[in-house]
Amino acid sequence: MSYMLQHLNNGWQVDQAILCEEERLTVIRFGHDWDPTCMAMDETLMNAAEKLKNFCIIYLVDITEVPDFNKMYELYDPCTVMFFYRNKHIMIDLGTGNNNKINWAMEDTQEFIDIVETVFRGARKGRGLVVSPKDYSTKYRY
Amino acid sequence: MSVQSLVNKKKKDFIGLPSPLGYVPGLGRGATGFTTRSDIGPARDASDISDDRHAPPVKKPKNDDEEEEDLNDANYDEFSGYGGSICKKDPYDKDDEEADEIYEAVDKRMDEKRKERREERLKEEIERYRQERPKIQQQFSDLKRELKDVSFDEWSSLPEVGDARNRKQRNPRKEVYTAMSDSFLAKAVQQGQSSTAIDPRDQKYGGLDTPFPGGMTPGGTTSTDIDMKKIGQARNTLMDIKLTQVSDSVSGQTVVDPKGYLTDLQSMLPSHGGDINDVKKARLLLKSVRETNPKHPPAWIASARLEEVTGKVQASRNLIMKGCEECPKSEDVWLEAARLMPGDQAKAVVTQAVKQLPDSVRLWIKAATIEVELKGKKRVYRKALEQIPNSVRLWKLAVELEDQEDARIMLSRAVECCPTSVELWLALARLENYENARKVLNKARESIPTDRQIWISAAKLEEANGNIHMIEKIIDRALASLRANMVEINREQWIKDAEDCESAGSIHTCQVIVRAVIGVGVEEEDRKHTWMEDAEASASHGAYECARAIYAQALTVFASKKSIWLRAAYFEKNHGSRESLEALLQRAVAHCPKAEMLWLMGAKSKWLAGDVPAARSILALAFQANPNSEEIWLAAVKLESENNEFERARRLLQKARTSAPTARVFMKSVKLEWCLGDMKTAEDLLDDALNQYPDFAKLWMMRGQIAEEEDELDKAREVYNMGLKKCPRAIPLWILLSRLEERSGYLTKARSILEKARLKNNACPELWLESVRVENRGGLKNIAQGLMARAMQECPNSGILWAEAIFLEARPQRKTKSVDALKRCEHDAHVLLAVSKLFWSERKLGKARDWLTRTVKIDPDHGDAWANFYKYELLHGTEEQQEAIKKRCINAEPKHGELWCKTSKVISNWRLKCEEILPLVANALSVPT
Repeated sequence: MSYMLQHLNNGWQVDQAILCEEERLTVIRFGHDWDPTCMAMDETLMNAAEKLKNFCIIYLVDITEVPDFNKMYELYDPCTVMFFYRNKHIMIDLGTGNNNKINWAMEDTQEFIDIVETVFRGARKGRGLVVSPKDYSTKYRY
Repeated sequence: MSVQSLVNKKKKDFIGLPSPLGYVPGLGRGATGFTTRSDIGPARDASDISDDRHAPPVKKPKNDDEEEEDLNDANYDEFSGYGGSICKKDPYDKDDEEADEIYEAVDKRMDEKRKERREERLKEEIERYRQERPKIQQQFSDLKRELKDVSFDEWSSLPEVGDARNRKQRNPRKEVYTAMSDSFLAKAVQQGQSSTAIDPRDQKYGGLDTPFPGGMTPGGTTSTDIDMKKIGQARNTLMDIKLTQVSDSVSGQTVVDPKGYLTDLQSMLPSHGGDINDVKKARLLLKSVRETNPKHPPAWIASARLEEVTGKVQASRNLIMKGCEECPKSEDVWLEAARLMPGDQAKAVVTQAVKQLPDSVRLWIKAATIEVELKGKKRVYRKALEQIPNSVRLWKLAVELEDQEDARIMLSRAVECCPTSVELWLALARLENYENARKVLNKARESIPTDRQIWISAAKLEEANGNIHMIEKIIDRALASLRANMVEINREQWIKDAEDCESAGSIHTCQVIVRAVIGVGVEEEDRKHTWMEDAEASASHGAYECARAIYAQALTVFASKKSIWLRAAYFEKNHGSRESLEALLQRAVAHCPKAEMLWLMGAKSKWLAGDVPAARSILALAFQANPNSEEIWLAAVKLESENNEFERARRLLQKARTSAPTARVFMKSVKLEWCLGDMKTAEDLLDDALNQYPDFAKLWMMRGQIAEEEDELDKAREVYNMGLKKCPRAIPLWILLSRLEERSGYLTKARSILEKARLKNNACPELWLESVRVENRGGLKNIAQGLMARAMQECPNSGILWAEAIFLEARPQRKTKSVDALKRCEHDAHVLLAVSKLFWSERKLGKARDWLTRTVKIDPDHGDAWANFYKYELLHGTEEQQEAIKKRCINAEPKHGELWCKTSKVISNWRLKCEEILPLVANALSVPT
């Protein structure tokens, strides 16, 4: 489903995408289009994109094509989703221990929408860290 | 900011563009990274952009361009020499390089000299060090090895560590809320008025801690202009701020649930709804009542209740105790006091109360209920009975607590004290043995001559001890003595008693009561009607013996009434055994020998039981009673043919033809011959029959069908045409002809035949249906729909047409059509079946089952519905459900239904039973789509 979403092809574009969004959240998925995890995540993103378009824009970045952020944002997972608002990286307390990003594929569109909404609300209030509506710590998986 | 302003905010003109030359991603917008997972990826390089979030405060850069190196002697260290190099600023030239090399070589040489020894010593030292202070890992290695023996259960049952902190630390004190001062509120008012925009400082510090500008200035708001409304608003504002603050703290963890907090506040309100002023007023009023009229008990009770409602239990107790002092003779006050007092005090109050009022039953009962132990309760009741020996209520409560033997003794005393209580008498009789019980009941009768229950229980008692002859006497005497004592005999009550007797197992008593009482108070002309109603009512209550007795009584009175016999026979068939049914039928035919139905029922019952000779003899007797009865002839023929006595059947039919030559007899004869394959005789018979009864359509149909069967289509056509001339109203004949034409490939001819039929038979839904189907089979869907519309206009209430119409529609419209159909023919089995098929096709299985059940309930004679239901259960139901449907179908014995008849009327199936036809039809069915 990656072809339904806008790709960014170099670091400059990534920076511009984050910079030029004044009112909306910028959500960037770092990963590879061919990766199964990314495919699952992209499916969710595509489903959510239309519903979220009023307050959020979603981009995809291939981390082989654009390796510039790999070290800076520790892009070692198959799929990473990060949130930016007015050139500020917004952190989320997901309960996983890594507050910087979502580094797994979310299958539930509504859950993702909820997270984005929470991030947006927090970011609008000037928060740098928001608490996810659901706890994703591994103890709830089993 | 500066970076953002460079970007065009409206257009995204960066998509697909290459990056500018030398652009460093991330740096361009001042991004900062983070380090959380240096374990798997490289931690950041020194050249990377630092994480500003954790950066130490940047020191102010010094204005001096460079700090000079400290070359002072004070900086000299014995080991590393001087702090800096004097020659640092000089260029590094060839001489320097050479010198460095030489130094290097010397160092190396010196190093190699003692290398071996040094390394050995180092190793030794390390070993010694390890021995002295082993690593924790090594220290525990032996214990760790033992861990493998720990089982999973032991792991899981490891005790929790527990919280070793003391209680104060474990449960941190809750936040303490203190009332706000008015000056603070006034400030808040000001805030609410003046600043609508959020002060950035407010935002930063969380609003409340901000010093309010201008709030402290004296004279800005004086105490004169504080009005309560504004203060109330201000309080709300403050509360709101406080709540949002607590609930939305920066850490994101909600400390106080605002909703719960508010409900907490709600629950702190006084529980009663009234206003405090009202309570005060009421208190005042009640006080004045008490003082002016202290001997008025309700005033005291009302006062105590008021205090109780407002939550002041102690005050209410005090009041009621005073009330007890003032009005010691009021039962109500004492009871209220006992209710309000807790445990032991209540007991004390009650003892005082019974001292004051020893004759109050209610007080004694209260006293007993307050007692917790059984023994105490018994004691209280005994004392009470000493005081009030004639209270039935007390006796009953006291007896309930005793065991059987004591209860008997107490009851014998009780009936002496309260001789008019029927319940006590009956209870005593129940506990006594037979002889004593008789005595008890006799005594009871003497003391209460007006109660029927005693008589009935006496009758029951006799029956239980086998004295059946006594029952009748007792009941007769009961009626006589009750009448003598001016008691009106109520038939309904007595019949109800009879039903109760039956459910208690006293069948004889029940019968005797019915016999004695059934005629009481019924007008001569109403008798039959009323009795039948009574019998049906009893049967529906499940009191079959009672109903049987009523029928028996009715039959002795109306021995020659056929309808009563029939009803009694149906009752026996439904609820009785075969023997009772046959006995009843025998008596019935003796009384009404002309009732063919009764004879036939008797014969059928015998035949079903497999007793063919008995059935034959019954039919023979029936012949004697009703010579030349067509029904009995045919029944006899059926009996013989079903039992493979074809010769006898033929002879019987021959006799029947001569003595009772009706069309039906002829038809049955032809059918028999046809079934037995004797076509020649069948045709001869048909010729004969048609000469005599040319307008009996079924004969024509048979003839035509025989011709069709023998592939003589022209002959069949001719026969049908002749038949139609004689009987133009025979719908099946028309349809047969049209099908014949259709089968021979003449669609137009079939159509015209049906049109002619419709002309001759107005508003006949069957013909319309056939026309529609002809078109449908011919593949002309739109013509079929047009025809259907016309058919609907002519017969708007025909279920078969609606059912067909539903499935003629395209799938999406079917639902609306079915709703229309249900509106028109709510109680038509065809429509219901179509609707259930619709649900079935939509795979709404539960609904389909409901509707199928409804269909077979509304018309149990409709074979198609049963077949569909069976098919449905075969596909979707369990084995039990399939069996249940089959059984129900066999009970219902369906005869009609289009597909059902198609299968059941095929000559080769002529002797199949219902249970064999059902699967055949179900197999022929297609699952609705």
